[in-house]
Amino acid sequence: MVKISVLQHDPSSHLPRRPGDPTPIARNLDPNMHPFARARERTRALNAAKLDRIFAKPFVDALEGHVDAVEVLAKQPDSLTNVASGSWDGGILVHNLSQRTKLLNTPNAHKGKVSGLCFAEDSRILSCGVDRTVKIWRIGGGSDQPLSVLPSKAAFNSIDHQRTSPVFATASNLVHIWDENKTAPISNLTFPTSTETVTSVRFNLSERSILASVGSDRTFALYDIRTSKPERRVVMQMRANSLSWSPTMPTSVLLASEDHNLYTFDIRHLSEPTMIYKGHVAAVMSCDWSPTGTEFVSGGWDRTVRIWQTGQGHSPEVYHTKRMQRVTSTLFTTDARFVLSGSDDGNVRIWKAKAADKLGVVTARERASMEYRSSLVDRWKIDKEVGKIARTRHLPRPVYTASKLKNTMLEARRVKEERRRKHTRAGQSTPKAERKKVVVVEQS
Amino acid sequence: MDALIAKADAIQPLSKKRKFNHKRPSGGDPGPSTSKAHDQTYNSIAKNTSVPKSLRPTNSLPDGAIPKHNHIANKKLRAELVRTSSHIAHSKAMLEDAELLLTGEAGKMEVEGDMERTWRVGQADIEQGAGQEAAKGRRELKLEGGPYTTRYTKNGRHLAVVGKNGHAATFDWQTGTLHTELQLQETCRDITFLHDHSYFAVAQKKYVFIYDRDGVELHCLKSHIEPTRLEFLPYHWLLASIGNAGYLKYQDTSTGQLLVEHRTKFGSCTTMTQNLHNAVIHLGHQNGLVTLWTPNLPHPAVQLLAHLGPVSSISVDPSSGGRYMATAGKDGTVKVWDCRNWKGTVREWSARGTGEPEVEWSQKGYLAVASGGSVNVYTPPSIHTPLPGHTQPPLYLTHPITSRPLTSLRFAPFQDILTIGHGAGVSSILVPGAGEPNFDSAEADPFENRKARREKEVKSLLDKIQPDMINLDPDFVGGLAPVSKLTTNQTHNGKSAQPVDVPFARLSRMERLKIQGKADDTEVVESDDDDGQGGKGDKEERERRRMRGKGKSLKRYLRKQRKNVIDPAAVAIRAKLEKQKQERKQVLLKKKAEAAGVPVAPARPSALDRFKRSES
Repeated sequence: MVKISVLQHDPSSHLPRRPGDPTPIARNLDPNMHPFARARERTRALNAAKLDRIFAKPFVDALEGHVDAVEVLAKQPDSLTNVASGSWDGGILVHNLSQRTKLLNTPNAHKGKVSGLCFAEDSRILSCGVDRTVKIWRIGGGSDQPLSVLPSKAAFNSIDHQRTSPVFATASNLVHIWDENKTAPISNLTFPTSTETVTSVRFNLSERSILASVGSDRTFALYDIRTSKPERRVVMQMRANSLSWSPTMPTSVLLASEDHNLYTFDIRHLSEPTMIYKGHVAAVMSCDWSPTGTEFVSGGWDRTVRIWQTGQGHSPEVYHTKRMQRVTSTLFTTDARFVLSGSDDGNVRIWKAKAADKLGVVTARERASMEYRSSLVDRWKIDKEVGKIARTRHLPRPVYTASKLKNTMLEARRVKEERRRKHTRAGQSTPKAERKKVVVVEQS
Repeated sequence: MDALIAKADAIQPLSKKRKFNHKRPSGGDPGPSTSKAHDQTYNSIAKNTSVPKSLRPTNSLPDGAIPKHNHIANKKLRAELVRTSSHIAHSKAMLEDAELLLTGEAGKMEVEGDMERTWRVGQADIEQGAGQEAAKGRRELKLEGGPYTTRYTKNGRHLAVVGKNGHAATFDWQTGTLHTELQLQETCRDITFLHDHSYFAVAQKKYVFIYDRDGVELHCLKSHIEPTRLEFLPYHWLLASIGNAGYLKYQDTSTGQLLVEHRTKFGSCTTMTQNLHNAVIHLGHQNGLVTLWTPNLPHPAVQLLAHLGPVSSISVDPSSGGRYMATAGKDGTVKVWDCRNWKGTVREWSARGTGEPEVEWSQKGYLAVASGGSVNVYTPPSIHTPLPGHTQPPLYLTHPITSRPLTSLRFAPFQDILTIGHGAGVSSILVPGAGEPNFDSAEADPFENRKARREKEVKSLLDKIQPDMINLDPDFVGGLAPVSKLTTNQTHNGKSAQPVDVPFARLSRMERLKIQGKADDTEVVESDDDDGQGGKGDKEERERRRMRGKGKSLKRYLRKQRKNVIDPAAVAIRAKLEKQKQERKQVLLKKKAEAAGVPVAPARPSALDRFKRSES
């Protein structure tokens, strides 16, 4: 007896039951059924990388209104749309990003430059300027007049308000702590030996009594306002222009340095930065964390805005336009989808945080395919061609040549160092890690 | 400040927590269960977010499944590698689970007693045993138009047949609807579908023609002259043809460009097949050679003397990932080769009957051999098992066909059907177990509708692989990069324990040449013959001779050319000098022997002597 059975496909299990039903899909994961699976996936990854570059149109809009260069930008922490900008002409604008309207327009808020801006509770704005006053404004009040004016003896460089209490801090030649209800500073904070000006001051987002400042004497200092004493100070090789506390890691702070780099410090170990972010080819003027804490934006003297991934110290996303001049202030919006930059040409520009992001309604299928594409590129970025397309960014000629020149100089410096070491007695000179070079001295 | 630091310590990931946080009271119950019990956030969402039992992973991976990569010093790289390998291990485990979902059941034919044989079962019995629906696969088409050649689409749904005298037809094999029927009225040698059944190419008397499904002639490919065989590479969109002139031509059917043509230099060729897994074209030649071709090599990637006489048919096993190749020659033998190791055959036997035997593998690895007036089918484990001698593997099934010659054998993909083209038309027989029961809709779906077919056309165009990626090893894509040109170099006094990586560009010229393998390590050619005895007088003599030898033109050339680079001219001259030196030595030895009165011992014969040119 012979048992015979012949292969037979059941049409009812492979065809739609009723007209209009989707056709059933059969799957067989046997690799023999999928010849060239890797080669095809690579082709797909290559196409995905190309598509990503094709769709990369990051510029959204430019917000006009300032006559002179934009100096500061500030976001309202509890709003998705409200952003304030202050300019060298002394004007303050509050923009609604979604409607592109101006909620507050005070052309002559300060005499001279507006050097600091921050939001407070109840839709109020605090501004300070080189005219030695702090002014408090209300958005949507209808009046152009400040709620109050607080005078001082020195020109201000920066201001920051505590999130939920009436205390704020200003930076001039020293750090003043103010109470909104009092007309004079309630305390002064300074290091005993410090004589230089403080350029930026920020409250910690988690522990509200902690305050950090950077100054033109190349220092980064930490204060505690409860003890009214400076806690620690770090002197670096070059000064930092701006600082920003991480919104998710309470001890992590980001510094935008004059030496073209950005540094993150963990304040528990101030002897060296946790990470160095290299990419700018001129001084970095400003930085701001994304609310997710996974990326941050920086803008600098090289007329580019760069978006960095936390923990990846190189190859950031680069944004630039022909007309954008030196970027003095940058901001991540509170929904982490957009980036704002204020520059010397007087415009505030809105950029997408992800260059190839699609604005508007995205269907589930579309999102799935976008996610698949991005994971393909991520998987194949080690491939030469795919990686090249995903990595390369077109740069303006001055930036490109500057970065080439910078590379040449750094390389020459490195070679020189290596040769010097080669010709000294063994063990006499040891190579120093890049991170150890940043901090000159740590004081407390 | 302390409050802030404590807060940060609490937030940091477990692996980075400070050591004192790991200390636990010894009596307490360690583990996440206690912490979860107190975690309000977790408790609030637990009842809404738990994964159903059926979807929970059935078994966690064993301890050794994920390598630790402890030897890697870089923390980030190590974490990345561990993440990747755990992902791979998990997906492998899930792949095993997915095999449970394959529902299709392969056909089979089993005997119960020891004395029974499957090959004794005829087609009539199989038809009876198969059931009514499956028995429809057994057909006989009586056609007049010479011996027929057949070809299936990738999904096995459509069949194209062409007769020697110019009768071409394509039809839906399952429903039996005819798409088109053409009387081309000239010699037609081969037919193939392009990416799906809407286009097909016919190798006609002088050129290759492309027709659409309705039989409208779309293109005449005038660069393919007198084609004998056609192959379509579906993932590269290439139509390959070989002709009487022996030129292998690749035409890109997505752009219409003639990609490349290779001159095989082996004359007229009538045997061609492709390896589905690496898109290499196998050609069988009149002198018994089998050659493997890729578009980016102007010469065969592999050249193999397979038969003593013309090769009549080649086929590559799709079930083993293109590992085995079967060839049949006019010398009446069938040979199975291992494509990874060309040293001899895996198996060979003589086919029954006379004429030009044909071979064909099915998706499940069944080998059909048509020779003389019958078709024999053999099953996999025995045909892949190496066996010396000329023993035929155990026969699985045999079917006699009276109308000779048998010109073409094709297994229908995803069916247990073998289609035979012969002198009086086309007949198809049932071979239980030959077809793959589970198809994949993303690759080839016999039940696809028009919309799915159109979508697949676009998708496969987007996924088209560039022809220069064709290689004998298809897995080289995404493999490891070649070793970098960085070299490890000790510091100058050799005391440093850490070797220093010096980039290629900053090495000295000699070192760079050494890495490239171009450095000339040979010594400077000395003109002296090493026949002298030791002593001062000899040294003087040598000096004198060296001076004398310096003026010779060849050596001067060598001295001037010596740039520490191996170049062919210098190598040739060096070889010539060496030869001259040997000759001189021989003469000297001969003279000495004559002077001593001893007969000259002839040099020991070498195996390579037969290749020496005769002096005359």
